[in-house]
Amino acid sequence: MNNRTSMSVPKGASTVRSVSRRLRIAAAVGLGALVAGCAQDAPQNTFDPAGPNAQRIQNLQVPVFIIAGIVGVITLSVIAFVVWRYRDRGQAIPEQTHGKPALEIGLTILPALILIGVAIPTVSTVFALAETDDTECVINVTGQQWWWEVDYPVQDGCGGISAPIVTSGQMVLPVDTPVLVRGTSRDVIHSWWIPRLNGKRDMVPGRVQTNRMQADEPGIYAGQCTEFCGLSHANMRMEVIALEADDFEVWKANQLSDYESPTNELALAGESTFIAQCSRCHQVNGLTDGDGDPIVSRPDLNVYSGAAPNLSYLMTRTTFAGAMFDLLTPECRADVWEAPPDEFGERYLEGVTPECLNRVQLREWLRNSPAEKPMYTDPNELAATNGLPRGMPYLALSEGQIDELVAYLLERK
Amino acid sequence: MFTTGTKFLVGATVVSIIVTIVYGVTQDGVMGTVGLISASVALAMVTGVNLFTRDANIFVDDEAAVATCPASRPAPGPSPWPLLFAIGAFAMVLGLVTVEPMFIIGIVVMFAGGAEWTAQAWAERASSSTAHNSEVRSRIANPIEYPIGGAAIIGVIAYSFSRIMLWLSKINVVIVFSVVGACILAAAFFFAYRPNVKRSVMVGTMSVAGVALVAGGVVTGLDGERDIHVLETAQGEAAAGLCEDPEKTEADSKAAQTVAAQASVAAEITLNDDGKLTKRLNGPAESSALTLPRSNPSNVLFRNESSEKRRLSVDLGETEIGADSIDTERIQVCTALVEEGGVQNITLNIGPPSNSVEGGYFFFVPGVESAVLELIVP
Ligand code: HEC
Ligand SMILES: [Cu+2]
Repeated sequence: MNNRTSMSVPKGASTVRSVSRRLRIAAAVGLGALVAGCAQDAPQNTFDPAGPNAQRIQNLQVPVFIIAGIVGVITLSVIAFVVWRYRDRGQAIPEQTHGKPALEIGLTILPALILIGVAIPTVSTVFALAETDDTECVINVTGQQWWWEVDYPVQDGCGGISAPIVTSGQMVLPVDTPVLVRGTSRDVIHSWWIPRLNGKRDMVPGRVQTNRMQADEPGIYAGQCTEFCGLSHANMRMEVIALEADDFEVWKANQLSDYESPTNELALAGESTFIAQCSRCHQVNGLTDGDGDPIVSRPDLNVYSGAAPNLSYLMTRTTFAGAMFDLLTPECRADVWEAPPDEFGERYLEGVTPECLNRVQLREWLRNSPAEKPMYTDPNELAATNGLPRGMPYLALSEGQIDELVAYLLERK
Repeated sequence: MFTTGTKFLVGATVVSIIVTIVYGVTQDGVMGTVGLISASVALAMVTGVNLFTRDANIFVDDEAAVATCPASRPAPGPSPWPLLFAIGAFAMVLGLVTVEPMFIIGIVVMFAGGAEWTAQAWAERASSSTAHNSEVRSRIANPIEYPIGGAAIIGVIAYSFSRIMLWLSKINVVIVFSVVGACILAAAFFFAYRPNVKRSVMVGTMSVAGVALVAGGVVTGLDGERDIHVLETAQGEAAAGLCEDPEKTEADSKAAQTVAAQASVAAEITLNDDGKLTKRLNGPAESSALTLPRSNPSNVLFRNESSEKRRLSVDLGETEIGADSIDTERIQVCTALVEEGGVQNITLNIGPPSNSVEGGYFFFVPGVESAVLELIVP
């Protein structure tokens, strides 16, 4: 009994103070949330569509957002009014009634009507976005921890592709062309989302999922994996690069061009280092051994997901390691990313030049990749995956070997 | 007069004095005797203090206090928890020398018993009213007891059920559980329509059912599961030369059960009446060859529109075998034989790219020359 009475004693001042403090915190949080919505540089803005698919979503989400906003404001206002108007002022408890059929039925039918009104355009948009028959070009993406592989099947679409093209992190596509992305995963569920081009699509092992892509203007459209997929989920990014049709032809021709042997001594040394250290995982098309036999990488035997990026034309992309790092120095990067649409293609097709190469980052990667990007590569902790790493392991390269490899990789374009 | 503590201490002092004397007489050795004498003296002193303070209890003439003093409280009722705790401890120790699960069960039981014991001991000291004490105990313990107890009961029921089901043969499972289900339904109806049936009848029925279930679970669990038959698949038989065999084999008989129902198809390949292979993909597929991703399982559906039973085979080139790499072996995978108009799934997971082997990869249909389709793996 004693504690009961003692509990009601300290009251008053401190309660008032804590209320006003809570109000202040709430105000700060609210303001923060509001300000966060005003980012200037937001490349992943779903409210800024850059193609017909994203535009469809925009045409749906804006009216739905407005309707939901109006309903929300009305509901909250009524609640606020009732709470204030009928607050406890010591008045007698009013007469208790039960049921008011007209009101109840009305308040059931009204929301149902609103929901039907929202459902019709929603469902039709869902179906329109699932359409595949009108696409003119197929690009496969395959997610794995923690990067996207992009490959172009042999086809008549995309202006004709005679041999498969394999790249990673960046999906290059022709502008104004309805492209069908056929995606899957090699390990866990990932999700492909380029917010300015379309909604997201989960990429599920064992299933082939589709996602339409179409960009109105040349440029870079950024995205990132949106299904939690483990350690480096946050570092699993991707970019869609839209090029004018003729630029796309140039890009394609380059991706199918023959292997060029290194032109200088350092790079030549790099080639043998690459064969010794890297080519068990990484494919470089056209690379041959002493007998002239093609060197075939076997990531299926060396990496848990069964894949590692194809490095044949590494320097034609501008980012690497799941688009997490720039292959370009900051100045050169700005040149490409901020190029006006009519100049973009030319700048992108330059690829990575010796002056523009972000040597520091590439060297760091080769020096100790797991230190740059969290991956499961510690040989002592790979029992669960039969000793196979998830990601690129630490390879204990010397600085000299790194020099050679950078020189060799710089010519892969 | 003598309180509990005093009784204990007087007893201990007497025992220690006797032990000291016996030890001193029978054993020689000064140190032991000195130690025991010290212990006796110490105990005697503590006993004296205790007698003087009356076990920290109240004076007999303080009537108001007598009514509320611990000694006048109702004696604690019998409690199962110390027993449970002891069983747990026993199981734990037994587990150390026998099997690990026993050890874990022991620890769990010990903790459960200990927690209950603690809660009860604490509640029994809450007031002098037994009713209030038991209410206090319920308030603190029930929110934990009910969910955990409920989960444990459900766990035991589900586990026993599963043991019985896995022990029975496939067909008997259906029969037994149809009957059991019907009985449960009937009993439920009976009790629902006769609400004033005796409580003891209900409890009895439930207990019999519960005991039968658990006993059945234990017996069948110890006896082990039935043999679960693994079906032969075309993929499993591929090594035995099945892929070039146009005849029906064992793997062909239950072929439909090899389709992975959860997976979706990457492409559909049809053997047409004219003996040609055509392919269909989701979306545009204008090209003569089929491209499938590298080192990732892809499902390809084979549809047989020809007028004979056929299988779809895939040739993945040659591989060198033997230490000296002189011999080569063709690598092939295939579907089971497909009836006219039927479909079959084949899952392909190909490591090396198609340009790494002479002649590339291709689909073919044994017995139909013209049915060939190039397979590209980037
Ligand atoms: C055990 C397999 C393995 C070996 C050996 C290996 N790598 Fe990697 N490498 C990977 C994997 C897996 C990734 C993808 C990591 C990611 O982005 O998460 C990768 C990524 C890269 C990338 C980024 C490519 C891109 O497009 O994103 C470069 C560059 C690279 N490796 C270079 C090398 C070099 C040079 C060597 C040899 C010294 C080498 N790797 C050896 C597995 C390997
Ligand atoms: Cu992911």
